[in-house]
Amino acid sequence: MDILGRILMVEDDARDVELTLTALADYNLTNEVVVIHDGEQALDYLYRRGNFKARNNENPAVLLLDLKLPKVDGLEVLQQIKSDETLRMIPVVVLTSSREERDMVASYKLGVNAYVVKPVDFHEFVNAIKELGMFWAIVNEPPPGSIRKM
Amino acid sequence: MAKRRPSLLKELHPIQRYGLAVVSVAIALGMALLMQRYSLRGVEFPLFLFAIALTVWFAGDGPAVLAVVLSSLAFNYFFTEPLYSLYIRTTELPYYFVFILFAILLTWFSTVRRRVERELLQSRDALEREVAERTQQANLLNLTHDTIFVRDTSDIITYWNRGAQELYGWTAEEAIGQHSHQLLQTVFPIPIDEVRAELLRTGRWDGELRKTKADGSRVVVASRWSLRRDERGQAVAILETNNDISDRKRREEEIRKLNDELGKRTTDLEASNKELEAFAYSISHDLRAPIRHMAGYAELLQKNSASVLDEKSHRYMMTILESAKRMGTLIDDLLGFSRIGRAETRATTVNLDLLVKDVLREVQQDIDGRNIAWKISALPDLYGDRSMLRLALVNLVSNAVKFTRTRPQAEIEIGCFEKNKDEVVVFIRDNGVGFDMKYVDKLFGVFRRLHPAEAFEGTGIGLATVQRIILRHGGKVWAEGLVDRGATFFLSVPSHGS
Repeated sequence: MDILGRILMVEDDARDVELTLTALADYNLTNEVVVIHDGEQALDYLYRRGNFKARNNENPAVLLLDLKLPKVDGLEVLQQIKSDETLRMIPVVVLTSSREERDMVASYKLGVNAYVVKPVDFHEFVNAIKELGMFWAIVNEPPPGSIRKM
Repeated sequence: MAKRRPSLLKELHPIQRYGLAVVSVAIALGMALLMQRYSLRGVEFPLFLFAIALTVWFAGDGPAVLAVVLSSLAFNYFFTEPLYSLYIRTTELPYYFVFILFAILLTWFSTVRRRVERELLQSRDALEREVAERTQQANLLNLTHDTIFVRDTSDIITYWNRGAQELYGWTAEEAIGQHSHQLLQTVFPIPIDEVRAELLRTGRWDGELRKTKADGSRVVVASRWSLRRDERGQAVAILETNNDISDRKRREEEIRKLNDELGKRTTDLEASNKELEAFAYSISHDLRAPIRHMAGYAELLQKNSASVLDEKSHRYMMTILESAKRMGTLIDDLLGFSRIGRAETRATTVNLDLLVKDVLREVQQDIDGRNIAWKISALPDLYGDRSMLRLALVNLVSNAVKFTRTRPQAEIEIGCFEKNKDEVVVFIRDNGVGFDMKYVDKLFGVFRRLHPAEAFEGTGIGLATVQRIILRHGGKVWAEGLVDRGATFFLSVPSHGS
């Protein structure tokens, strides 16, 4: 699995993945997205271990992180990233269904870069994803060591 | 009267006392002479001795000596040869000697006897005084409501006051002489040997004892013991006072039970709160996703098949999308409502004038283009959580705006009055569509609506939210209305912190 992508998306729900990718297709960003389905795999990807031993050693330009994930949940992944010298500079956007205050507070305390609640309305959802992808993958200048735009 | 005699001796004047000696000897002489006239001889001796004895007894030692001297002279003059002369024959000297000796002996005996009698009387007086004093003390102890009794070192009851009779039901006559611990079936909290040891060491002991009354009922008493020692330091008696604390113990027990129950209920409540929170959390995470997917895929389907869908199918698709969106709103409202119950309140003094201005700015977009006459009085300060109170007012004001939409000239009034010095009542009155008072109880229920969604939009969570906020502030919400004649909503809120 040697996929290059500027957007790392950690999302266990295949439907959400599909809807997100559909939204990003409008900006031709689909190919930039690496999709990981649980927290453990996400950490394996970032640390280049397990299935991802052979991958390029650059960090993604942005990490779209769901909170409710199998095995290792989103907040644990976030904590791991933000407490690691080599990973802490990766911008992390929490993309979740939850509007719960405690999730929001916990995320910000751990140093999340943005917190986005997935809107129920499809148009709003598409707009949110498009803006996110646009901003973090194209507008934002990622930290050194990230995958560059080709 | 007898006890006054020794003091009488002291009260008598010396002249009276010596006169008594003279008079008694003279009477003895007269009687002896009278007897002699009737040829009764030999009575003079005992008569003079009697006079001396009388003098000793009533007049003391000095007059007795005078009586002896006078008696001897009279005896010599009138009754010994030669008669009517004071000449004493040597052969009669032993006779005088014996007489004087006898008189001295009599005086001595009398003096000793009188001293003994005086001492006896004194000690009896002292005893009587003590008895009177003790009786008085015992009577005083009878006056107290406290239970007091005394027992000797072998626990036999020797004193039993009226308080003891009232508490335990035995009279003093019944109790005195009984073994106290057997009579009262005393139950000690610690071994009795330890109690005795402490009593002997410190002279005191106090603690709680269980005892049984004459009627068999049990009492708990706060008991205090004091040890009485005699002059040599020997323990002689134990004074015990008891206070019935059964009621107090019962109340304490009740309070303990209530506290236990309260603790259990609090735990239950905390558990159910946690459950509720977990429930809300999982709704927040899990329930919204399928709705989002329904809306998303319906949208994609519509987009991809727009050309092949007929009018009807297109309407179906729109209905699916709208329903999904509504479901999303309902879930969000419900979560918001449950958050009000769970969130901590941060109470401060809130300026209601400023708050209402703030609220009007928020509902501005619903007001635009409307003809609304606002009547807003000067409003007082409230005490509460600003953001929650704001939410409550936003709900009420936007309701008033919404339900006056059909009026060509809408009128909305925000005012207040003081309910009492601790509470302020704020009201929001409108001239909108109003409601039927028979449904007033349903107004504040979650998702309860009195109007069809087509007429007035909304999920029906607004007033439930208002009520929840005001209840959390310790206040009350109520409403008055008439169909087509407007509605008034009242909130009572604390005006200052407690």
